[in-house]
Amino acid sequence: MPQNDDLKSLLDQSLPKIAGPTATDEQEKPAEIMRIAVVGAGTMGQGIAQTASQAGLDVLIIERDEDSLKISLSGIEDKLDWEISRWAKTVSDKKAIMSRIRGSMEITDVAEHPIVIEALPENLAMKKVMFSVLDEICQPESIFVTNTSTLSITEIATATHRQGKIIGMHFLYPVPKTPVVEVVRGLKTSDQTFDKIRRFAIQVNKTPIEVYEYPGYVTTRVILPMLNEAMYVLMEGVANADGIDTAIKLGYNMEMGPLALADQMGLDEVMTWMETLFRELGDLKYRPCPLLRKMVRAGHLGKKTGQGFFHYDEGGRILRKGQAE
Amino acid sequence: MKVLVLNCGSSSIKYQMIETEGRRVLAKGSVERIGMKGAILNHQRHDGDKVKIVGEIVDHQAGVEYILAILLSPNHGVIQDRAEIQAVGHRVVHGGEKFTGSVLINEQVMDGLQECIELAPLHNPHNIKGIRACQRLLPGAPMVGVFDTAFHHAMPDYAYMYGIPQVLYKRYGIRRYGFHGTSHFYVSRRAADMLGKPIESLNLITCHLGNGCSMAAVKSGVSVDTSMGFTPVEGLLMGTRCGDLDPAAMLHIMGQEELSVNEINAMLNKHSGLVGISGVSSDMREIINEMNQGNNLARLAFEVFCYRVKKYLGAYTFAMGGLDAVVFTGGIGENAALVRAGSLSGLEFMGLKVDKAANERPDHDERAINTADSRVAVLVIPTNEELVIAMDTDRIVKEGK
Repeated sequence: MPQNDDLKSLLDQSLPKIAGPTATDEQEKPAEIMRIAVVGAGTMGQGIAQTASQAGLDVLIIERDEDSLKISLSGIEDKLDWEISRWAKTVSDKKAIMSRIRGSMEITDVAEHPIVIEALPENLAMKKVMFSVLDEICQPESIFVTNTSTLSITEIATATHRQGKIIGMHFLYPVPKTPVVEVVRGLKTSDQTFDKIRRFAIQVNKTPIEVYEYPGYVTTRVILPMLNEAMYVLMEGVANADGIDTAIKLGYNMEMGPLALADQMGLDEVMTWMETLFRELGDLKYRPCPLLRKMVRAGHLGKKTGQGFFHYDEGGRILRKGQAE
Repeated sequence: MKVLVLNCGSSSIKYQMIETEGRRVLAKGSVERIGMKGAILNHQRHDGDKVKIVGEIVDHQAGVEYILAILLSPNHGVIQDRAEIQAVGHRVVHGGEKFTGSVLINEQVMDGLQECIELAPLHNPHNIKGIRACQRLLPGAPMVGVFDTAFHHAMPDYAYMYGIPQVLYKRYGIRRYGFHGTSHFYVSRRAADMLGKPIESLNLITCHLGNGCSMAAVKSGVSVDTSMGFTPVEGLLMGTRCGDLDPAAMLHIMGQEELSVNEINAMLNKHSGLVGISGVSSDMREIINEMNQGNNLARLAFEVFCYRVKKYLGAYTFAMGGLDAVVFTGGIGENAALVRAGSLSGLEFMGLKVDKAANERPDHDERAINTADSRVAVLVIPTNEELVIAMDTDRIVKEGK
């Protein structure tokens, strides 16, 4: 006769017989993370949620209202459908991934999660308010991760009473596909917190890079001057956009040329970033290219507006004729 | 000897408690959805008592703990004390070239298993987790590893070598290994018993047709060739795997569709085979259903499937210089009469004749389905890998004492 027992009581029943070796095993590595919460599920938050869920974790996503939540969840579904059409995933993969993602509008639902990842827009005041709220409701062991790429983790941490448990994770877009994450230590981030997050990154199949809080970390700091320089080369008439991108792509075996990459990142984002580096580090090499300013003023922001250094069709593919400039 | 047989997958553990003297299954079951919410333990005792338990099982160790707990349970269990488990037999997917037979597990063997992870990154790590869990939970019980690849270890080099630069074989162990070895081993032995002849005198072809499909040429009891290769993707058409494919076609597709290595890998493993051709299903029963309703792509998938089996039959018959019996096993092999008929049609010229009525009779036992005057026997034999693992474990533990 089939019957349903409670798993816990089954274990309790025979616990004295089998608990010994597990309980005394000291060298065993700490348990893996089973669930995380993601606060704010825009593009980055969705990507983080999908990445964690497809690694087998339960994910709670928090959005401010029902509409935003719906958009977030269907955003993840769309991404998965796209991957299915590319044969990268199966329908049952999608089912399993979506079944592990739960949405809520109640921020208090994050209370019991060991890791809470904040993926709100890049606004220091907003993030600080969120972190002080999280500090109130979460269990003291919870680690808070901010997904910022511009703001000071040390400063965000001051909004809490757990500054050692605040850390940054800089995922790169598109999150599920980009295999690297910068794990960013604030001034007061503890070694323990860093180690936990480093292991968490590996658990969700990302290669973690240890980074200390500093403008641009590694990825942004190194790539931006190249994009900026490509724009100077274009402005000075050394070659046209297609020629520049083709030269760099083929010459250095890159998947995308610098101008197409800038278009994909969003030219407004690129300019904001260059300005931040210029301001913070004060070096002329970070001076945003005038052509970049001009294009941002014209509203040619790249792929997202359909026009940047290249023209794009609705599917985001480069149209070969009619390059800007 | 009471042997616990474990088959640890990525998120599941299948188990059987086998008493080897009487070859009796005392209890069997599975833990599924390890590390996810709503993990399930299904347990069935020899007397028919069944339980299903839902809860949280965080990892393989917890899974093994629950299996032990249910085996010890006063209501559903079959043992009173953990010490009654005299040995544990583990199915291990890949033994590489290191493990040519079942082995008693010690730290040196564990190191060897670690080295084989590179060859089977999706399977071996979970097998190792299961072994580690048992070492902690059953410290007194000797453990034996039984490898999916082991039965094929004696293939001649010209059967396992690919036609690529030798240095790649030396550097990365790129060669044919073959899988389903335990199943091919079991059904080939049973076939010899059924035929009443010593296995040394027989040329057999065993067809394991399940979710994964492979065939083996078993000459004098030894696997001399098999259709799966470096990975289980090669050879026959399967539910979701492509089987034989021109490697250059794959490179062409990667270029045309701009696919990454992961994407092409998922395409070949999960979106191909029966489901890829038919667009209907990876399940042969549904393919046959659809085909009977006139679905042309389902018909095509079915015919590609059968044709591949037939092609390998021919190849292996030549490789062995003769054929005494063809053996079908696995979900499709044991149940799909239409597949057996389709794969063996037109082979009367070599004295292979299927008895239509015997083939189509629904049956779950070992049986012969050839006509009385067929020179080649055709057998259907339900596989039993767990029993092989238990018996091997029994033998090796006793030898070690």
